[in-house]
Amino acid sequence: MSTNGTGPTIVLDGEKVAYNPGETVYEAATRHGKDIPTLCYDPRLEPFGGCRLCVVEVEGARAPVASCTAQCQAGMEVRTRSARVEVHRRTLMEMLVSENREVDVDELTSLASQEMTELVDRYEARTGRFRGRQSGASRPDDPNPFIMRDYDNCISCYRCVRVCAEQEGDYAISVKGRGFDTQITVEFDGHLKESACTFCGQCVQTCPTGALGDLKALAYRDVAGETKKTRTVCPYCGVGCAVDLLTRGNTLIGVQPAMDGPANKGALCVKGQFAFDFVQHPDRLAHPLVRGEDGELHQAGWDEALDRAAEGFLRVRERYGRHAVYGVASGRAPHEAAYTMQKFIRGGFGTNHIDNCSRA
Amino acid sequence: MTDQEILARWKEEPAPLLPVLHAFHARDGYLSEDAIRTVSKGLRIPLADLYGTITFYHHFARVPGGLDCPRVCTGPVCLQEGALDILADLAPEGATGMPCSGRCDDPVPVIRGHLTLAGRSAADLTARPAPLPPPARDADRECVFRTIREPGHATLAGYRRDGGYEGLARAVRELTPAQVVESIDRSGLAGRGGAGFPTGRKWRAVAEANGTPKSIVCNADEGEPGCFKDRALMDYDPHAVIEGMIASGYATGAHRGFIYLRYEYPETEHILAEAIREAEEAGILGPSVMDSGFAFDLHIRRGAGAYICGEETSLLNSMEGKHPFPRNRPPFPVTHGFENLPTVVNNVETLASVPHILALGAEWYAGLGMNGHAGTKVISLSGDILRPGNYEVPMGFPLERLLYDWAGGPFEGRTIQAVTMAGLSGGFLAGDDLFVTLDEPAIRARKSFLGAGGIMVFDDSRDMVEVAHAAMEFFAHESCGKCFPCRIGTQRLTERLAGEAGPDSLVAWVDEVADIGYTMKETSACGLGTAAPLITESLMRYFPEAVSRHVTAHGPLPMAGRG
Ligand SMILES: Cc1cc2nc3c(=O)[nH]c(=O)nc-3n(C[C@H](O)[C@H](O)[C@H](O)COP(=O)(O)O)c2cc1C
Ligand code: SF4
Ligand code: SF4
Ligand code: SF4
Ligand code: FES
Ligand code: FES
Repeated sequence: MSTNGTGPTIVLDGEKVAYNPGETVYEAATRHGKDIPTLCYDPRLEPFGGCRLCVVEVEGARAPVASCTAQCQAGMEVRTRSARVEVHRRTLMEMLVSENREVDVDELTSLASQEMTELVDRYEARTGRFRGRQSGASRPDDPNPFIMRDYDNCISCYRCVRVCAEQEGDYAISVKGRGFDTQITVEFDGHLKESACTFCGQCVQTCPTGALGDLKALAYRDVAGETKKTRTVCPYCGVGCAVDLLTRGNTLIGVQPAMDGPANKGALCVKGQFAFDFVQHPDRLAHPLVRGEDGELHQAGWDEALDRAAEGFLRVRERYGRHAVYGVASGRAPHEAAYTMQKFIRGGFGTNHIDNCSRA
Repeated sequence: MTDQEILARWKEEPAPLLPVLHAFHARDGYLSEDAIRTVSKGLRIPLADLYGTITFYHHFARVPGGLDCPRVCTGPVCLQEGALDILADLAPEGATGMPCSGRCDDPVPVIRGHLTLAGRSAADLTARPAPLPPPARDADRECVFRTIREPGHATLAGYRRDGGYEGLARAVRELTPAQVVESIDRSGLAGRGGAGFPTGRKWRAVAEANGTPKSIVCNADEGEPGCFKDRALMDYDPHAVIEGMIASGYATGAHRGFIYLRYEYPETEHILAEAIREAEEAGILGPSVMDSGFAFDLHIRRGAGAYICGEETSLLNSMEGKHPFPRNRPPFPVTHGFENLPTVVNNVETLASVPHILALGAEWYAGLGMNGHAGTKVISLSGDILRPGNYEVPMGFPLERLLYDWAGGPFEGRTIQAVTMAGLSGGFLAGDDLFVTLDEPAIRARKSFLGAGGIMVFDDSRDMVEVAHAAMEFFAHESCGKCFPCRIGTQRLTERLAGEAGPDSLVAWVDEVADIGYTMKETSACGLGTAAPLITESLMRYFPEAVSRHVTAHGPLPMAGRG
């Protein structure tokens, strides 16, 4: 928006800045480089106003206000880091530490899993104050292979519930009970498998404490090396969800959705999110196989295998014409292989009979 | 009724979820898994969401026979009146506790099925009407209680005999809606449900707001411990509430009203339903109110046991069948209320004042108060006091006179140690602060507030730390769980007052309790969390020795090493 002095402005930490009408104080402040702490916030969701870490001082207001739900008003004077709000933020972080089993969780747990840890450190909140009963009860009994439900570390921000409803539209999980006893649940306290859950993993990726974890990725937690992120596009279907592949050395250890992916904005489906470990599966072919006279497959060299394949293709084309060939690429192959495949069919055979198994 | 008959009965009505759930609950004696699945399909509410919402309410039983298990009030007054013994005696019948259920002037209430019993021991529990307000001490300065004690006043005939519906008749025939708003504005009437917002301004905002249909919601949730005034008004003057709601509808252009009634008043539901039936039959409710051409319909929606559902935005979510967390404000209900349309939410007492103002005039009402304060306030007085009950006092009336002159003072040989304000939400007043006048500015100057006007008295035989613990346990039990400071803070304060967790050094204890309270007060998302720390704050202010004894007595705590 305009910073040329024509649009409406607020005073942000003493500096006059422009805001877009309808923008919240948090959005405007963030756009202007302020680092306001949040835990219940996910830019894709309706502002919820639960964690209260985002409180700021507004001139004339009796008490600090939650910046994620407050709208900018012309002339508003906002202080984002005053001693008063920093005291509240620290107390809130100390309270959170007191209700959870642990603060430090493995980075592979999920995309957002370090949010709470980082704020605990920023506010030096490992003071041991406010001890008492811990909240939330983990569900190690849930047998699903994808999602860890470790609610001992849940802080009741309800991002999981809200992302499931607002982004995924599945309404698979909800809040049971109230107060300190709230618990994330599916109907009748059951397992995810029997619920409306599609295992899209969005709840996992938005969970700021690691209470929800990616079991597929966590299986690789002991692989040594530095985690590398590579941006790519999920090969499973035609939507084109942007993902970051996590690797250590030559091992693919996880997939995380790209929050800025134009097609998916952090969303994935069960395949894109969890179905990656075939890559290093021991059952994968390690060399070419050709079928012998006996009808069985036998290990062969590349030359032999390619000759056999070419021979077969040519025979078919000669006998039935170029349109008798139909190529189907696999959704589990890399994009480069899929590209080569269509080149091979279109350019090599001169037919458009080319498809991909994930043409969804 | 079959499943499908229940759904068909309510499906097309506004705010159908609560009545549907109550119908299944009443039919089966609990909410079965099958019933919940049926409701989920019938009303198109996702199953997990519906399940979570049902678990939010205290009184929806989830096991067969649950509805018939006795629920015994374990509120602050009843705890002093034998509630725990009753609970123990009724344990074989599956008795459980429940928060203050609005009968502190006639303890101890026990709800079984659809019946309220009361008595000081399990043996003498009887079903009897809740008490009428005691005789007036200053009859010329009463508003809502002016005619309430007349025999038969709760019937339409009795109400009309005492001048009822005359104000409304004049309003709908002779005044414009704007003139009605103007009159309420001039009377100085302000909300009697706790927040004290000027009623005329609220009505004007709804009248001027765009969007239809508009609604009038009567907040009859009365969940605040120590408050039982709305119960008395509805039981003995139901038509005043109806008249006030119709007037509010006329003034704002709303054609439908809802009374959101707390679960714990089953008898009141019948009284209100009967009054509505009478009013409909007499043409006072319906397509043409008193032949004016103005249409107004009234529905009762019964809550299911959640204090937070008295908070107006949580109430609206509850009516809409959503998870009853409070909403973020702004926008306010006057523009985005029931189903996101303009809505008046007013307390029972506020609405019951309206007919009297319409009949006797704004100036009359304004003049009832003392020292420049407008109108009156009903105080629900209970606890260690000779004559508990509902007293209507002029705004600005001295508390001391209410306690000693009107209500007879403490019991023989006892002195008053402390009183609560706003029911429980205002924390305690004690010592010299007992010489306060009953109006918001005076009480706020003492770091408390008058709110809905419940006052519980504790004499010198009571352990104030224990009282504070019971109070905080209530807030922890009722915290909705939406915001961090209240969800965790109410729990931590309860543990500290119980002596279950917390530092064993006094300085560290006071530090923790004060820090939690400060952050709750300043950052909680609604009035529950901002008010709850007034309990600990006032306890530490008035009773530092008791706090010190409490902390040093318990020594190192089992949980102190955890974390
Ligand atoms: C935790 C909480 C509980 C409340 N409970 C009630 C209640 O039981 N009855 C009520 O009238 N107002 C209650 N209120 C106040 C309502 O939010 C609202 O201000 C009121 O109903 C407006 O009506 P009035 O202006 O006539 O007072 C409560 C507020 C809070 C924060
Ligand atoms: S995995 Fe997806 S569908 Fe399942 S609970 Fe999480 S967000 Fe909802
Ligand atoms: S599981 Fe995670 S995302 Fe869900 S409420 Fe708990 S902390 Fe928040
Ligand atoms: S203050 Fe308490 S009751 Fe109010 S929104 Fe927060 S958690 Fe809920
Ligand atoms: S980010 Fe504003 S309350 Fe959580
Ligand atoms: S009715 Fe039991 S404490 Fe109010």
